Amino acid sequence: MSNVIEITGLTKRYAGNFALKNVELVVPVGVTGLLGPNGSGKSTFIKAMLGLVKVDTGSGSVLGRPWPTHVKSIRDRIGYLPEDDCYILGLQGIESVQMMARLSGLPTTEALRRAHEVLDFCDVGQERYRNVETYSTGMRQKLKFAQALVHDPQLIILDEPTTGLDPNQREEFLDRIHALANRFEKSVLLSTHILHDVQQVCDQVIILVRGEVRLADSLENMQRPLQAGVQVRVVRDALRFAESLRRHGLGVQCENDTELLVQGDASLIRKTVWASSKEEQVLVERMDEARNSLEHSFMQIVSEKNYAHP
Amino acid sequence: MPILDLGYRNWNGDRSSESLRWTVVATTGISLVWRGTWLKRFMLFATFPALVTMFGVGLFEQAARDDSYRRMFNGFLASRIEPMGPRNRMRNRAAERPQIISETTDIATQRHLAWSHMLLWYFRYPQALWIVVVIGLVAPRLISYDLRSRGYLLYLSRPLSPTSYVFGKACILFFLLAMITTFPAIAVYMFGLLLSNDPSAFLQTWDIPFRILLATLVLVLPTSAIALAFSSLTQESRFAAFAWFAVWIVGWVTYLVLTGSAMFNAEDAIKLQQRWLMISPYHVLGQLQEEIFGLLPTDQRLTGPWVLCAAVSIVGFGIARWRVARMLKV
Repeated sequence: MSNVIEITGLTKRYAGNFALKNVELVVPVGVTGLLGPNGSGKSTFIKAMLGLVKVDTGSGSVLGRPWPTHVKSIRDRIGYLPEDDCYILGLQGIESVQMMARLSGLPTTEALRRAHEVLDFCDVGQERYRNVETYSTGMRQKLKFAQALVHDPQLIILDEPTTGLDPNQREEFLDRIHALANRFEKSVLLSTHILHDVQQVCDQVIILVRGEVRLADSLENMQRPLQAGVQVRVVRDALRFAESLRRHGLGVQCENDTELLVQGDASLIRKTVWASSKEEQVLVERMDEARNSLEHSFMQIVSEKNYAHP
Repeated sequence: MPILDLGYRNWNGDRSSESLRWTVVATTGISLVWRGTWLKRFMLFATFPALVTMFGVGLFEQAARDDSYRRMFNGFLASRIEPMGPRNRMRNRAAERPQIISETTDIATQRHLAWSHMLLWYFRYPQALWIVVVIGLVAPRLISYDLRSRGYLLYLSRPLSPTSYVFGKACILFFLLAMITTFPAIAVYMFGLLLSNDPSAFLQTWDIPFRILLATLVLVLPTSAIALAFSSLTQESRFAAFAWFAVWIVGWVTYLVLTGSAMFNAEDAIKLQQRWLMISPYHVLGQLQEEIFGLLPTDQRLTGPWVLCAAVSIVGFGIARWRVARMLKV
């Protein structure tokens, strides 16, 4: 199976307003970031995939099963971490993970064993024996992640999973996603506002704007710049260094006092950069092939009406 | 570096049928509500009337063997059914269906009647009140808590429809109510069979277990439906509890006030009670119980109460399902 989701003509309206408008989408195996501003239809898309909202039109397949006619069997193979803070009042952490496993058809004892195993994986210690309403935001995110994983789904849908986590917890969370995708061949659909998270773990990116798919491409393609060049970081005096490069006939764009973008073929301009550095006595700290920042691309796609990615 | 780190592992076991996943909602809910100390106390107290009923059945069987116990049994039965009021006085006047065991007839032939009376008393008086209390304690939070904590999203993200979710929640109530009605009533019946020492007792009373089941259904379905509907309409369980008790108390009090003027005239009372019957859930259910146990004082047909009972059940469960499905909209 090369694609986990293949959808055509997905439309959903709320009181006449389009939440999703004729969405055509293919989500390949791997980690896919689902990006978009607030109200762009990300949550509606996820809920539509799970059959939690009734769509007006649309057909396709999810994990090789016909969608939306077989949503129940699809749900059995999807792990869903909702954006909302949701829990069952009165249950302990371990009980709520066990309950989710049983809801996915695991026998009671096996569900308990599996719940312990997944909570260990999610780094939930003895807190698992506390009632879930006493959990902190970070603990609840971990608990929801464990609930999403406990039945060993093929596709994991994570809606804003790192919200409310401190930087350490966020890194650990992303490491787990990375491990699941790379070591256990899980596909992950990660809906988030945090572009750094996408950059860190995603292979593919989908950008939804006002219910339409504006971009669905690999992260690598998305970060490829419109013009070839080299990103140079110097210790100081970037302006003086830029002048020197211009004198050597190179196109230079100075971004701040330490960073500049030199346009041209990287293999050809490298020598000139070193020569100028020697002439101007400016220390080059780092030199990379130029890339579009995800943030830059995202802002560009969201703001432009008819964005056409190169 | 941990000494042992199993990490994540894949799982490839057999899964249970999708159509049975509602049982998880029910069993989880039962284990959750069973943690309440007050519920345990009430459930314990709710078994006591079954002991009284057992005593009555035992007394009847003793009277069947020893005439000297007849007077005692008659007294005991009269004290049980006296609260039935003018309807009972009317019933007692129907000469062809003597309600108090006659001194002259063969008492063994009246077994069905005596047991039915005892069970009707059991369902109609103590257990109807216990049902109101137990549901009032448990039901208001069943759905409202999930709406408040958005727990319904967890349930419905698995192969569970809003209908099976509501059914699972209703099963929590069905189980608790069966614990205080059906199981004790069946135990009373079995106790009677064991005490009767008469093989024909089963042939005389074989239909009573079915009547018990039907009486339970009539009590449980509409009450659970109303309670779940209230619970689904609010995120605050106290409002649902208030609405639940208000329906019973207001209905009962209004009915008593409206029918109280003809208390001392049985015929007038019957007419008045029939006119205002539908405003009191307690009395509607009571009349249906009488019909189920074959103890209606007149030959009237209870079409209205049956239709009302069915309509309330359908509308109640429908509201609960609609509210849960509606919450899923983004």
